Amino acid sequence: MLGRTAQNLFWLSRYIERAENMARMFEVGYRMSLTSRREGSASEHLISMMQAAEVDEGFNLKYKQADVNAVAHYMLFDEENYSSVRSCLLAARTNARSVRTALTLDMWESINSAWLEFSAIRPRDVNGAKLQELLGWIKQVSHRYRGALLSTFLRDSGYAFSQLGNFVERADNTARILDMKYYVLLPRASLVGSDVDVAQWTMILRAASAHRSYRHVYHDRYKAWNIADYLILRSEMPRSLSFCVDWINRTIDMLEDIYGTRTKGHDAADSVTALLADATVDRIFEYGLHEFLTEFIHRNNQITEALAESYNFY
Amino acid sequence: MSATPFDEMHNADGSVREPYLILEEWLKEQPPQALSLMSNDAESLFRRLGITFAVYGSNEGSEKLIPFDIIPRIVSAIEWRKLSKGIEQRVRALNAFLHDIYHRQEILKAGRVPEKLILNNSAFCPEMMGLDPARGVYSHIIGVDMVRVGPDDWYVLEDNLRTPSGVSYMLENREAMLQLAPELFQRYKVASVETYPETLRRTMESVAPAGVNGAPNLVVLTPGIHNSAYFEHSFLADQMGAELCEGQDLFVENGKVYMRTTTGPERVDVIYRRIDDDFLDPLTFRPDSMLGVPGLFDAYRAGTVTLVNAPGTGIADDKAVYTYVPEIIEFYLGEKALLKNVPTYNCTDLDQRAYVLEHLQELVVKEVHGSGGYGMMVGPASTKAMREEFRRKILARPDNYIVQPTLALSTCPTFVDRGIAPRHVDLRPYVLVGDDIRITPGGLTRVALKKGSLVVNSSQGGGTKDTWVLEE
Amino acid sequence: MLITIRHKLSLTLGPGIVRSVQHVLLTPQAGPAQTVREWAIDMPGFADAASFLDGFGNRAQLVSQHRPEAELVVSVSGVVETIDRNGVIGRVAGEPPPTLYRRPSPLAKAAGAITSKFRSGPKGGQGRIALLHDLMARVEEVVGGTPQQTQSQSQGGQSQSQSQGEAVTAAAAADFAHAFIGAARGLEIPARYVTGYVAEHGEDAYWHAWAEAWDEGLGWIGFDPTLGYCPTDKHVRVAVGLDAGSVPPVRSVPVIAAPVVELTVAGQ
Repeated sequence: MLGRTAQNLFWLSRYIERAENMARMFEVGYRMSLTSRREGSASEHLISMMQAAEVDEGFNLKYKQADVNAVAHYMLFDEENYSSVRSCLLAARTNARSVRTALTLDMWESINSAWLEFSAIRPRDVNGAKLQELLGWIKQVSHRYRGALLSTFLRDSGYAFSQLGNFVERADNTARILDMKYYVLLPRASLVGSDVDVAQWTMILRAASAHRSYRHVYHDRYKAWNIADYLILRSEMPRSLSFCVDWINRTIDMLEDIYGTRTKGHDAADSVTALLADATVDRIFEYGLHEFLTEFIHRNNQITEALAESYNFY
Repeated sequence: MSATPFDEMHNADGSVREPYLILEEWLKEQPPQALSLMSNDAESLFRRLGITFAVYGSNEGSEKLIPFDIIPRIVSAIEWRKLSKGIEQRVRALNAFLHDIYHRQEILKAGRVPEKLILNNSAFCPEMMGLDPARGVYSHIIGVDMVRVGPDDWYVLEDNLRTPSGVSYMLENREAMLQLAPELFQRYKVASVETYPETLRRTMESVAPAGVNGAPNLVVLTPGIHNSAYFEHSFLADQMGAELCEGQDLFVENGKVYMRTTTGPERVDVIYRRIDDDFLDPLTFRPDSMLGVPGLFDAYRAGTVTLVNAPGTGIADDKAVYTYVPEIIEFYLGEKALLKNVPTYNCTDLDQRAYVLEHLQELVVKEVHGSGGYGMMVGPASTKAMREEFRRKILARPDNYIVQPTLALSTCPTFVDRGIAPRHVDLRPYVLVGDDIRITPGGLTRVALKKGSLVVNSSQGGGTKDTWVLEE
Repeated sequence: MLITIRHKLSLTLGPGIVRSVQHVLLTPQAGPAQTVREWAIDMPGFADAASFLDGFGNRAQLVSQHRPEAELVVSVSGVVETIDRNGVIGRVAGEPPPTLYRRPSPLAKAAGAITSKFRSGPKGGQGRIALLHDLMARVEEVVGGTPQQTQSQSQGGQSQSQSQGEAVTAAAAADFAHAFIGAARGLEIPARYVTGYVAEHGEDAYWHAWAEAWDEGLGWIGFDPTLGYCPTDKHVRVAVGLDAGSVPPVRSVPVIAAPVVELTVAGQ
């Protein structure tokens, strides 16, 4: 397999996953701006959400006011925002065209039709209920692609690179969604544990589609401790860091089986694994949740670099 | 050349020509709306598969579908046999010409083709001098553009010897027809075109460099996804099981060509390159090329890799050299040309230029190095302003234009808004040259969808049809 | 005459280059006027280079390096035995037909100031050789008057610095040769560009360029318009081509903004 093909498959999956996560992040910020007026203005919620998504700087260069329309446009449709849903879907399709011969017809069709449908949408028509509908549709696009991948893709190195891209990106996003709490919401210590805090934790869980499954796992009220445990350490939770790291290890081991050698990619995966290995929620809070997540994001990023070097991505 | 175009379906008395009899019957059986539904199905099929072409000068993502006409064009076995003999003759002679031009240049010494026309031509590639490509083949993949003006009266418009495109449309059009009208295939015996990718593979393998053990490693070299024919590049790579590479995927080391794989360098033996000569290798050709592979041409000269097609083949399909093809055939094969050349006026000749300028309204003017229907003017469809513009252009640079009479392109029944109507068509059959010359029975029929239009190029609103060659 | 050559070129590739390739034209071939006794080229990657004949019949090498040093040094050394044939090279088997060298090329353009004088004269038979000698003299007259002005355009392909006095000479020689070639082609006479070395008056051999023109009777004949005479046993031929751009001693990719090529030749 060409190094570039591996690279394209890896990033194709990342972009699809990112498009989905951008939609999730936006949805959280949007809902907070609609409902949680007590602990901040609508635009504060949207800004904190953009900080977590690391799109705030670009936004501030273009807009003075963080209102829902501007933020929606920037995060969903803006071509100049490299992380916007539009940019992600276009990048995914561009990558897919580059490796058209390495994809199954179902995978190609899911991306191609997603892009064709998305590019036909006129941003100014999207508001109110339409906006919610679009956010749902974006998640469906991601599910369709993953479904096609899981049910039609040959389990060889191409599959491994796709899965790696998927879970490296998801781990990154989950870590960022969690970190959103720490960027702006915790400083006012008096509010910790209050109703307001709970409302915000709910949003975090929603962003990870975890607000209902949480109940099944914990049979308890929303509590910061549980939520951190759930999104970081619970291996049965498909968006948790632990779950993502399991899959990263599983697929990178698959590459070792196929190619017969361990690479720097394995070392990088080991380094992320080590961070979670002995972790408990107590220790994480003691270390500092924000510090822990920052370190996780850093180590997780290094997997991409190590893969690029080990498998001749460029 | 008669003024009334040849109707491929009907005789002059209105009766249906033999190859179309069954089709006629089938069309009558179709309930109203059936064709229109089929046409919609075809469009969504193509769109889903991503068979699009990018239009130059338009935005990213604005890819167009080439309209597909659901009524096949049908050529009888006898008609095809005559046609393919003519094509084979032409291809043989043009490869011999290329070999001569890049070796002893006997045809120039004999004065049969003007020396300046070749040596001063920008399409002539001095770097190719003295090189002996595998099996003496320069152009392995050829698409000959032809038009028909009578039952057995075919003219060659252009011999595309560089990197002809469109073969993927030939294959996908057949695929679409098989899905849309399987019952029609039961009534006709249509020669298969599906073997093309396998034949291409075989052709490439047959010209592998000496010393390759086992199956040669084949790749398709594409300029990338922004190229208008990218779909075709990926399609062909996929169909023949070759890696689809961009310039950045290949590199030259120790005089050999390698591709970068996830497990390290892998040797490459035969490259079907869809990058133009100028951009192929910045070490030898344009130094600013970002698409090519530095050192590739030297590796080719050193005999460690085969390029398909060879660089410098453009000298044989140059529009100005085209007029000499009948001479070329006689010189190398000692035969009369079986296919006709369109008479061509040379604007550098004062008498011919005077005639051209007086008769612009009846003539077709083409830029010598133009393609894709750009830079051309079809006299009968031109406006006064266009004719004035071309008059100025010809006077300014007479050597930059060739002028030909307007041919009465044949028509085929075509499904349009108001039902079925005749529209003008051309034909591009595909030829592969390696250990043998193989012509795929069929080809790409392009159809001018606008009533009366003679411009069939997809970039100018043309469509395509499936081309059926009947078996005996 | 035995000519000993030591020639060093250095090429700045710049830092951080992953792969670099060169097309090297620094290998003289045996011919009617010369026999190569010893020849060696020393540069990174040369041991694994592909060696082949280029389109003009020159011996060329394709050399490559993985992660090369920022500075690439090429050292050439050898001994060539020459005889004086008054510049006559004749016909060489395997070379392209001489008519190829009537093709116009970007660096060798016919200058009206030179050709106008010869337009009406005889161009074939005995007359041709006399004409070519006149042409050589005329080039010296016209180009010789303004050597500075033409230097910059003459190295072709890649701009090269003239940090050495000899390099200036080489650049000027290219201008003379181009003027001669352009004029000869303007008169429909095939003419080509020659690179090589010259060892004058028992001094050190230096890198040089001259021209060859075609005569139906004698074949290729050398003309050195810089020195004003036909090549003798002081000349060592290395490569021929359409102009300097088609036969630089070393052509390299990547081409960075301002590559510096130093040409220094030491003889004995």
